[in-house]
Amino acid sequence: MKVNTRNFVQTAEREMQNQYARAFLALMPPVIAALRVQVMGSFPDPEAAQELGRAIRAEAVARMPDLLEEFERNAVAAGARVLWARDASEANELVLSIARERNVTEVTKGKSMISEETGLNEAFKNNGIEPFETDLGEFIAQQLERPPFHIVGPAINVPVEEICDLFMKKAGMEKATTDPVELGYAARLFLRDKFRRVRMGITGVNVAVAETGAIVNVENEGNIRFNKSSPLTQVSLMSIEKVVPTMNDALHLVRLLCRNCTGQGISAYVSIDRGPKMKEEFDGPEELFIIIVDNGRSRIYEDVKMRQVLRCIRCGACLNLCPIYSKIGGYPYGWAYSGPMGQVLNPALLGVDDTSDLFNACTLCGTCREICPAGVDHPELFLYYRELEAEGKKMSSGRWEARFFKLWGTAAAHTGLWRFFYRLVRPVVARYGKEGKIKAMPGPFEGWFKTRDLPVPARRTFRDRWRKSMSEKNLSRGGME
Amino acid sequence: MEESAREEILARLRKVPKEETPVRPVLPPARELSLDKEGLVSLFTEKLSRETGVVYRAADRDEALDHLTEIARTENLKRVMTSTDDTILSLDLPAWGDRNGVAVSTAADYVDREEYKRAVFDEADAGITGADFAVAETGTLVTAHSERQPRLVSLAPILHIAVVGIDRLVPVYEEALNAFYGYGGRIPAHVTLITGPSMTADIRATSFKGMHGPRRVMVILLG
Repeated sequence: MKVNTRNFVQTAEREMQNQYARAFLALMPPVIAALRVQVMGSFPDPEAAQELGRAIRAEAVARMPDLLEEFERNAVAAGARVLWARDASEANELVLSIARERNVTEVTKGKSMISEETGLNEAFKNNGIEPFETDLGEFIAQQLERPPFHIVGPAINVPVEEICDLFMKKAGMEKATTDPVELGYAARLFLRDKFRRVRMGITGVNVAVAETGAIVNVENEGNIRFNKSSPLTQVSLMSIEKVVPTMNDALHLVRLLCRNCTGQGISAYVSIDRGPKMKEEFDGPEELFIIIVDNGRSRIYEDVKMRQVLRCIRCGACLNLCPIYSKIGGYPYGWAYSGPMGQVLNPALLGVDDTSDLFNACTLCGTCREICPAGVDHPELFLYYRELEAEGKKMSSGRWEARFFKLWGTAAAHTGLWRFFYRLVRPVVARYGKEGKIKAMPGPFEGWFKTRDLPVPARRTFRDRWRKSMSEKNLSRGGME
Repeated sequence: MEESAREEILARLRKVPKEETPVRPVLPPARELSLDKEGLVSLFTEKLSRETGVVYRAADRDEALDHLTEIARTENLKRVMTSTDDTILSLDLPAWGDRNGVAVSTAADYVDREEYKRAVFDEADAGITGADFAVAETGTLVTAHSERQPRLVSLAPILHIAVVGIDRLVPVYEEALNAFYGYGGRIPAHVTLITGPSMTADIRATSFKGMHGPRRVMVILLG
């Protein structure tokens, strides 16, 4: 997928003018968030259930190499073929060569975020193979060539009129309609034909299980089940952090994933594969390929401070309550992952240089950390990325900034000195004021005003007024006595 | 190439000092575990109904067939495809179909995979299957797939009817899945958990049942 993380500010400004998206963002995320709270209540102790999820993910990351080997051993024993890819192009090349060897010209795909990362659809197209996303939202986003707006609803913001045009042009829909149900039905018919004929299906993996070598997928539409039932070849891509120790761990994560993702107790379908179909089965894949993709993660693993980002299970709960995401939507984040999830993942995977706006566009309110079922400490990561950025840039203002804050520190620690500077600075600052606001100042403070205004300081300070009113009060009291 | 990618990735993961694995909190037991049979039935029914699933109860085989007859009449079923697990075989659906004018077939009736797929995608008005377990926790059917339980029969037709013995009703997923993965024996290649019909809300957050799979799910609890 094309990386567009450098245009965060422009895209955010544009999206904030998009009334349709704004209306949606004001409505939907709070509804999902409320559903989430309600359905978490089905655990006898919701907080303990979240804690267990966090512990499972922490253990999965801590034991990652051992779990990967155990998973591979068991998956291979069950007849799966396990392949490894260092990066996006290796992963795509593996999938392409499987497709080429089988003379496949069309593939269907279940939603897979790792394939969004590697740009698998583009790779297919460049090699004369037509990929069809089969998750309805992904299908729309793919045909519109847009990044996902929300990890759960990739095209949930797209107006029905636009979808109607699209389906008339590209999905063989004959009669124009703006009814979401009829639109969905048109997509059903179009994709059903693909499911029937296609010989190779691609899926992602939500959880992989070391003790059984099984892969688990969570979905509502049934498109992933079709991909695992109809074609002769199934290729499932997983990033290295997906493996958990046991089946029961996977089940607990599925419970948490569904609750945190869509506010459901469980999704309509959970499907678990251990190897390809048995010989006697009438349907299911004759071959199952599992591609384990690194794509920068083992480098992230080497950094003990950054490693925790690999705990993320992609539920998207953090998006729904984020004060930034809920104003700007998913597009400004410029890549596969948006919201706080994207703010922690994109810099780790793409580097801090290209993603500066992502980890700086945050108030550090910590809601994402509180809600996270995987135990990711987003604010800690944002601070770490900012630190890396500052160190890497050796900012030219660094020396002055350091002196300024040293002076500030000294002044702030001494009352007399503080008052002295305060009286000195106030009238100077006030001179830049216009209609009660200071919108810009020259010199080293210029940058601060880029995104902020400062109210003009009042002519007399609060302390001065307080002192005066107290002495007046004392006077009047004195008079009464 | 593959081999070296594997070695390289694992080597890098092993290079760094191992973190300690955290202590796991102990969860209080799930509420469902304290329910009796009727409690499980009513929870299962409540949860599945919330997903628009319909639950019938049948005291015996004949009552189950009566429900099927009624469903076939109201849904105007002409052709159905069935699984061939023990529960379904015990109902002798071909004979039921003869009595009620419904053509009943199974995956084995077709000459090859393509013909079977054509029938299950395009011809079957409903798929009738057993299920290995029904889980009260969320109103979920759990099925291990095999030659007797083909994958597409519960997926491709627009209506899915499942018949499950009430002795297979369990409180939580673990009790179902540990039966497949826990005790050796033949581990199934494919297991599905089904909770209500196929659905989406991807267009304007409007809920739509029957996105790719069944639009409706009906469950007959037998016994």
